[in-house]
Amino acid sequence: MSDEIKNTDDHHPKEKISRRDFLLFGVAAAGTLALRRLTNPEAGSRAFGDHPTGEHVWGMVVDIDLCIGCKYCTYSCQAVNNLSDDMIYNVVTTETTEIGDEFFLSRPCMQCESPPCVHVCPVGATYIRDDGIVAMDYDLCIGCRYCGIACPYDVRVFNWYEHTEDSPRVPDFGTPELPPRPRGVMEKCHFCSHRIDYGLERGLVPGIDAAATPACVVACPTGSRVFGDLNDPESPINQKLQISDNPIRLREELSTNPRVLYIPPRAKES
Amino acid sequence: METNIQVPKFKIGKRSYNLFPLWITFLLFGITVGGIGAYEVLTKGLQVTGLSNQVPWGLWISIDLSSIALGGSAFVFGVIVYLLRIERFKKVGMLAVLLGFLGYSTAGMVLLFDLGQPFRFWHPIVYWQPHSLLWEITMCVVLYLSVLMAELLPIVLEHPVFTSHPILDKSKFLRNLSNFLQKVSHFLHKAGPVLAVIGLTLSLLHQASLGATYGVLSGRGLWFSPSAPVIFVLSAVTGGSALLFLTSQIVFRVMRPGLVKDEVLLDLARLTGAVALLCIYIRAWDWAVTNYYSFDLEIALQTELLNKVAPYAASFWIGQILFAIIPGFVLLSAKRIKNMKVLSLFAILPMVCTVLTRWNYNLSGLIAQITYDPYTPTVVQNFYSPTWQEWAVGIGVISYWLIAFSLAARFLPFKGEEHHHEEAAEAAA
Repeated sequence: MSDEIKNTDDHHPKEKISRRDFLLFGVAAAGTLALRRLTNPEAGSRAFGDHPTGEHVWGMVVDIDLCIGCKYCTYSCQAVNNLSDDMIYNVVTTETTEIGDEFFLSRPCMQCESPPCVHVCPVGATYIRDDGIVAMDYDLCIGCRYCGIACPYDVRVFNWYEHTEDSPRVPDFGTPELPPRPRGVMEKCHFCSHRIDYGLERGLVPGIDAAATPACVVACPTGSRVFGDLNDPESPINQKLQISDNPIRLREELSTNPRVLYIPPRAKES
Repeated sequence: METNIQVPKFKIGKRSYNLFPLWITFLLFGITVGGIGAYEVLTKGLQVTGLSNQVPWGLWISIDLSSIALGGSAFVFGVIVYLLRIERFKKVGMLAVLLGFLGYSTAGMVLLFDLGQPFRFWHPIVYWQPHSLLWEITMCVVLYLSVLMAELLPIVLEHPVFTSHPILDKSKFLRNLSNFLQKVSHFLHKAGPVLAVIGLTLSLLHQASLGATYGVLSGRGLWFSPSAPVIFVLSAVTGGSALLFLTSQIVFRVMRPGLVKDEVLLDLARLTGAVALLCIYIRAWDWAVTNYYSFDLEIALQTELLNKVAPYAASFWIGQILFAIIPGFVLLSAKRIKNMKVLSLFAILPMVCTVLTRWNYNLSGLIAQITYDPYTPTVVQNFYSPTWQEWAVGIGVISYWLIAFSLAARFLPFKGEEHHHEEAAEAAA
């Protein structure tokens, strides 16, 4: 050992590192890096962050009885997120209750606490933000569409076409706020996270100030959608949840724990 | 080294024709068709396919899963030849390595077109997401393809052109290159057992994970099953062995008579039959567990719908059950039947069964989709039919498979009788 140190001082380090040592060191370094990569807590939380570490956790409540099926949420979403006409983040369908009453079900991304799409993505292109929002990294996505297959709510939209023109909903329902995504990547509703980030920087409160609130919530003419911070007891969403009984979540048996809740329709008087 | 390869001739009356050039030309035409399809897909994107947000995986995934499954004999025979040291399977094992390499390279090619961003195919290797089954499969397939290349190289280098071509005597460089290649070949051959262990590990991992890709998706009732990985592994062994048996007929019995004893091929047939029956036994239990011993509303609705859509009902009962049971018993009694033509005919069925299992597995869960309606959940039927571009790419990669196989069958010696091989055999004996 002392020889080596001495030699280093003599500026002849090369002669004392044999090829064997060099290779061993290389293997050890590569192994450490790989292990670090595998056990990296940060990388893990990016994929499996079941409990968001951020200050806020965003959620949405949809009061089914207030929804009139006007699809303003769909249209404003298309305009603001710069979507082609055939791509829909937020789907409105007509469903029936057990007793046969029809109701409208508007369905954004559920922003699951344990999202199947995040677990299956082979490159980590879809991930959970600190605030619980399931977001996409369009530069990483390879377009394998496994997330679309894994999603139990059918909310993932693939970019089949090159984006050429604005949605016909522009400018009636808003103006594009995001650059178009390249052809061949998967997209999804992200609770207009760009608006939330923009608003928080300027001291606005998402869910209260329109500029910091998802476009669908702002556009809803009946106030069927309520948005806010689930961590804040004073937020609009928590106040709404306090006065409403039995909020439900879609396909609860799958334990995905969505952060989009629904206030079930009350039986209609006939 | 003399190679005695007999090319089958097509006979009309007294004249005989060599159809090999015509066959290769035909396949080159197939590759051209594939090229046109590939050009369409790469320039216009996946909009030219029949895929949709509801059915995002279709024909290409089925080809990919099937070709990986049909290449499944490579790891089985790596183990049989190098670890169990059953020397009589050595030449058959060499063919298995070729089939494995062709299967996996075909799969890689199809997958490339199936990506929305084909030029980001390397992302999983750099941006790890170790929780994802698809990531694991990608890494396994990439690594295993390297293992297969290492196993295939000695088989290709065995060709006399690399050792005794006249041009080697004229150029010192080429002679040195040839010697170097023989050394590499020798080294890789000696590394055979190590490669066999790595190959076995990687193969079992990703063949199982291909099943688990569907098996872990709790949101799709019909797929959500712990037995999917087992079924995928076993049916890959079945289909792979059946394909190996079938190609052995051409490569060894027709083109290289006397190189491999008939008993070896009969043993291969019996192995295929045994695994086919084991696979269908587990498949039957799986069916009973989901459809008979338990009741799940979603699965029941999905099954009901699929039974109405004719191709799925028929392809399950006929394609997956009958096409495994019948050839299973026939191939198992290969030593009694001994008629290679009959056995070859029946060996086609397990391959069809393997392909249909993949096709069904992939599409059944997508065609019958469970809705998210909180009160009255139903199952809706999605539609998918491949476009000509998808077929063209499919024809292209299958032509690639056939052309590579034909050339190998026509030119490679498959002897495995270099001096160090004999030493190893003596040492083992």
